Amino acid sequence: MPQPRLKLLGCVPLAALLAAAGAAAQPAETNRPGIPIDDETVRQACGSCHQPDDEGRLSRISFRRTTPEGWQQTIRRMVTLNGVTLTPETARNVVRHLANNLGLAPAEALDAAWEAERRSDDQPYDDADVEETCTQCHSMGRVISQRRTGEEWSLLMAMHRGYYPFTDFQAFRRGDPGDGKPQAVDRAVAHLSERFPFETAAWSAWSATMRPPRLGGAWLLRGHAPGRGAVYGQVTITPLAGAEDEFTTEATYTYARTGRQVERTGRAIVYTGFQWRGRSIPGDPGEDELREVMFVERDRRTMRGRWFTGGYDETGIDVTLERLAGGPAVAGAHPPSIQAGAAATVRVHGRNLAAAAESADTFPDLGPGVSVLAVTGTTGDWLDVHVRVDPDAATGARDLVLDQTAATGALTVYDDVDRIEVTPRAGMARVGGVRFPKQFQQFEARAWHNGPDGEPATEDDLDLGMVDARWSIEEYAVTFGDDDIRYVGAIEPGGRFIPAVDGPNVERSGSRNNVGDVWVVATWPPDAGDGGGLRGRAHLLVTVPLYLRWDPTAVEQP
Amino acid sequence: MRHLRAINQKAARVERTVAAPPPDAAPAGDVVALQQGSAPPQQPEGPHIPLGCSLVFQPGWEADRNGGTAGLCQPVERDLFDCHRGCFWPAHVPDQLNHTPDWTGKCAAAQKDWRNIDLIFP
Repeated sequence: MPQPRLKLLGCVPLAALLAAAGAAAQPAETNRPGIPIDDETVRQACGSCHQPDDEGRLSRISFRRTTPEGWQQTIRRMVTLNGVTLTPETARNVVRHLANNLGLAPAEALDAAWEAERRSDDQPYDDADVEETCTQCHSMGRVISQRRTGEEWSLLMAMHRGYYPFTDFQAFRRGDPGDGKPQAVDRAVAHLSERFPFETAAWSAWSATMRPPRLGGAWLLRGHAPGRGAVYGQVTITPLAGAEDEFTTEATYTYARTGRQVERTGRAIVYTGFQWRGRSIPGDPGEDELREVMFVERDRRTMRGRWFTGGYDETGIDVTLERLAGGPAVAGAHPPSIQAGAAATVRVHGRNLAAAAESADTFPDLGPGVSVLAVTGTTGDWLDVHVRVDPDAATGARDLVLDQTAATGALTVYDDVDRIEVTPRAGMARVGGVRFPKQFQQFEARAWHNGPDGEPATEDDLDLGMVDARWSIEEYAVTFGDDDIRYVGAIEPGGRFIPAVDGPNVERSGSRNNVGDVWVVATWPPDAGDGGGLRGRAHLLVTVPLYLRWDPTAVEQP
Repeated sequence: MRHLRAINQKAARVERTVAAPPPDAAPAGDVVALQQGSAPPQQPEGPHIPLGCSLVFQPGWEADRNGGTAGLCQPVERDLFDCHRGCFWPAHVPDQLNHTPDWTGKCAAAQKDWRNIDLIFP
């Protein structure tokens, strides 16, 4: 790349010096914040460098709070670069103690949930200067999932400069040293110390009430797998004998669009009283092992998060778990939308639904203009209802009410499909398959009604749900003779983009990799002729691999 | 533009492309780098960088300043070892300085031997 390069002689001693200086014992100052660490495992594992002060606070460690992933990253760096030797069991116990006692409060962790959930979302930060300083190398998620004292933020910057001497040139000190203005790194330290301080009301409140959550029991599962649609089912959670924060799980769920059923067994650990980290194995070899990242809400009745897999964690299901109380519970309905004047069979998914089939008095209520004519079948986990929609029924979403439960907006009545949208609007894939993994990108086509105002992209628009579409890719022309479309890969009928292989491609000009950017186009209905039907499209960037992976992968293994 | 005229070949190509986009740039108006006035219809906002957990540097590893790939150093293998030795992309390429001094041990020339380099989990 066209940047100037410098000789980096003498940097290793600097790094060693910084590491040693940072870890040395500090004199006790009673007015300094910091959390004493009395756990013998942590003291033995870390104490030879991070010596305790008179109040039992270990240097550096006691002045920082973060997620289990954040602590695991630190421990891995200590092993890789500072010669620490830990057994896996000791490392797990250290992560557990630190995440529980120097962790984040729920409100703090939720702000950065997308980082732990490994989402490839659009996540802009509100301070563009600080964002640019930090995201030159890593996501802001890594930053906002930390809380540190001002001194700790400053020492963290020193660590970056010691290990990565180019940091100054690339991000930290980009300004004119002679103009007297603070450098980017100074502004970042000031901002982060104020925005993400070590001591917060949220943490003092949460740490006062924190305890291992009692999650045993049956939970209703409601989820969405991009490109595959809604999933409904149940997760049964069982506490592991002898461990108050570990659980085993049995999950069964159904893909509403296809009826495909999946069973999983798993195991999980809950950090800081609310951070679920698990892993589950499918009964069906056609499914993948999934990592689970979820957050338990404070009422202990709901969990939300993402189950995921893939070379870059790019494939997943967004899930919500709600505790089942024993009576009927409605998860959702399929299809999610019906045209006015039409008759259809709607499958209501949930649990304990059989009693609803007994008489017309107990049938599900789908709201004004939607008549439930008959229940045509049930297993208790689903209920098929035959419905007719009045031709004059108002367009809009209907809540599905059954006994004392309801699923909000479960069925939408519409008169016409106005447009098709492709999500995500900007996707990314990475070439791979020869030496490095491929990163796939799943797209999804959704039908929309413009709402009562007839204008697209306004608040009253109605999401009519995922639709089957015909997928294609088109050139996104940014240069003369742009021909990315010939090399980047192909899109499957289900909307998943498969990138081409990694490595130089001698058939391309300059032996370019199979990278490029293209439009991904969905046409609906799928059998529409050329120029017919509705089209939606998204931008897809097909790019190069990562050659190292910083991301922690094993905090869920108890 | 009425009072301007192309005086070199590149400018002439710009004029020709704007007037008649290449046939593979369907639908018309998608010559984004050369667009005039407002954005073409249905064009999504440019990708926010970094995309969630992905990593980037500007001009970036994944994307160039325009959010595309046309401005990237290509093929990536041509620059890989310089990045490694110079510690230039510490979040994308293993650095020789601290983490992986031997990363290129089995690979004399990345453009030919790139299959011999390893994915690193620091």
